[in-house]
Amino acid sequence: MTETIPVVEMRNIKKHFGGVQALRGVDLVLHHNEVLGLVGDNAAGKSTLMKILSGAYIPDEGEILIEGKKAHIVNSWDARQQGIEMVYQDLALADNLDVVANVFMGREAVSVNLGPIGIMDEHHMEQETKRLLDRLKIDISSVRLSVENLSGGQRQAVAIARATAFNTKVTIMDEPTAALSVAAIKKVLDLVRELKSQGSSIIIISHRLEDIYQVSDRMMVLRHGRKVCDTPVTGDIDTFREHVVAYIIGARDDFAEGGSKKSNDKLKQG
Amino acid sequence: MSFINEINKILGQNIREWGMYIALLVIMAFFTITTKGIFLSSRNIGNLINQTGYIAVLAVGMTLVIIISHIDLSVGYLSGFLGAVAATAMEFWHLPLYVSIPLVLAVGILAGMFTGFLVGQMKIPAFVATLAGWLGYRGALQLVTMAKGTIVITNDTFNAIGNGYIPDIPGIGILPGVHKITLILGVLVILFFIINAINKRRKMRSYNIKQSSMYLFIIKLLFMSILIGGITWVLAGYRGLSWTAVVVLIVVLVYHFIMTRTVLGRHIYAVGGNPEAAELSGISVKKITYVVFASMGMLAALSGILFASRFKSATTTAGTLFELDAIAAAFVGGVSPSGGIGKVTGSIVGAFVMMSLTSGMNLMGIDISFQYIVRALVLVAAVVFDVATRKRRKS
Repeated sequence: MTETIPVVEMRNIKKHFGGVQALRGVDLVLHHNEVLGLVGDNAAGKSTLMKILSGAYIPDEGEILIEGKKAHIVNSWDARQQGIEMVYQDLALADNLDVVANVFMGREAVSVNLGPIGIMDEHHMEQETKRLLDRLKIDISSVRLSVENLSGGQRQAVAIARATAFNTKVTIMDEPTAALSVAAIKKVLDLVRELKSQGSSIIIISHRLEDIYQVSDRMMVLRHGRKVCDTPVTGDIDTFREHVVAYIIGARDDFAEGGSKKSNDKLKQG
Repeated sequence: MSFINEINKILGQNIREWGMYIALLVIMAFFTITTKGIFLSSRNIGNLINQTGYIAVLAVGMTLVIIISHIDLSVGYLSGFLGAVAATAMEFWHLPLYVSIPLVLAVGILAGMFTGFLVGQMKIPAFVATLAGWLGYRGALQLVTMAKGTIVITNDTFNAIGNGYIPDIPGIGILPGVHKITLILGVLVILFFIINAINKRRKMRSYNIKQSSMYLFIIKLLFMSILIGGITWVLAGYRGLSWTAVVVLIVVLVYHFIMTRTVLGRHIYAVGGNPEAAELSGISVKKITYVVFASMGMLAALSGILFASRFKSATTTAGTLFELDAIAAAFVGGVSPSGGIGKVTGSIVGAFVMMSLTSGMNLMGIDISFQYIVRALVLVAAVVFDVATRKRRKS
């Protein structure tokens, strides 16, 4: 379809939980240095689709290509090895640990390698954390503060920084602005723009259409486990909102009836 | 005045930790006055440390278990049972000491891994799984000791662990009747503590975290030096450092190091703080659960060895209620009941607080029923204090 190889391509993803068909054959494409907004009503399948990409769920059918190569992702470790990081809505950080410990959680740098009881290289981890926060223009007075003492916006910033710290190709953010103050939302959106300007590829799930409008290049609408819209973000905010809501509630559908199947066939041939 | 303000602020921030040391001092001072100095006598403090030993090592293991939001009720009878196994190995199987002790420690690790299997693998709530262990090990203890009721241990080296003291340099004229090696060790510990504190302060300053003023820092150093120095002096006046104290010190140092400096320790705190986040970060919660319970099992074995050695025998009632004493020590020592927070050193101080209460009240001749009530009040006060200070810090 395009001349460049997309960083992520998901083809015909299907997933059911018991009798409920959560995803009915969804295709997703994310290009390099692109911000993709993913919207839809509750239970539309957004989170399920992203959890499949990040390895939390295994799809019943379909395939995932990372930079054109077929990837086998069966757990979050695999996904991470492929450079896919997910920022979870509320369970990303350990409150009892400081910023450095959270950023390096599960990937601690060691100075003396003794296997499981390797001695941590606190100095290195701390310098790296400082550098990371500076690069992303995140304002936290000390990297040794325990996370429970940070504000909601700062916590979200730490979670995002953590996800983008280690050669990440794709960062997935699940409702990054939920439960934040207006000022904090602005900061998180600034951070997304900063990441994009530094070359990251990002997928954002959000209920807040104005957030998607502000930072996304393209957006995708899911409804009842199907993709109903996939379009660049253009025009003014009011038309955009009207347009998207029509897809979310099912008044419009670009891939209705045979449409979805046809595009699948095209993909398979290509 | 700014100095007073600063003390207030520091106490406000670290009140939990300071409160514990202050409480220990107050308790000790109170009993010293009410017993006309007997409590602080070298002999009593020496005994106090030996009595605390077998609870203290359990409290260290329990700290880790509670940090990952579990509990282990089985360790009391496991400790008693393994003490009896050690006695049987030496008295009936005629195994040498250097085989018996590793054997018992290994059985302890296996028992702990079984608990880890039930809790981590089968997802059985730790309370239920270890309640089963409580019943099972109690039965096992009675089986092992059934023949006689008591197995008397005749191995002197083994018995020295719970009753003996480290040797001294003979033939030095100065300070007769004072244990020199103990004094030297005490001075070394104080020096180590001061150097460590200065390094940490320098480091924290480079982290941009606001530090207390020089005055307060010196007061803190003095306070801790006097505390360590005082204990050393008192111990040196009797027979010096006991082998039990040496074992406890080694356990505390090793565990403190693991919990503060190694990847394993960091992962244990991470699992305690947020198991989902830890799992998503690639930390195996299951593996950590296994490791923590295995370490608990090993320390239960050590506790059983210390106890059997102290009483030179294994009895049917050994280990009764140890688990609850260890849990209480951990909570008094600042381990959070909701997991994620706690220090090995805190739990040790907690164990000494609880044992000082028992010892002091025994010396005063207070009725055992009141002793339980007083200990209950101290436990409740510690946890209420904990919850209240944590809430205040968050708001």
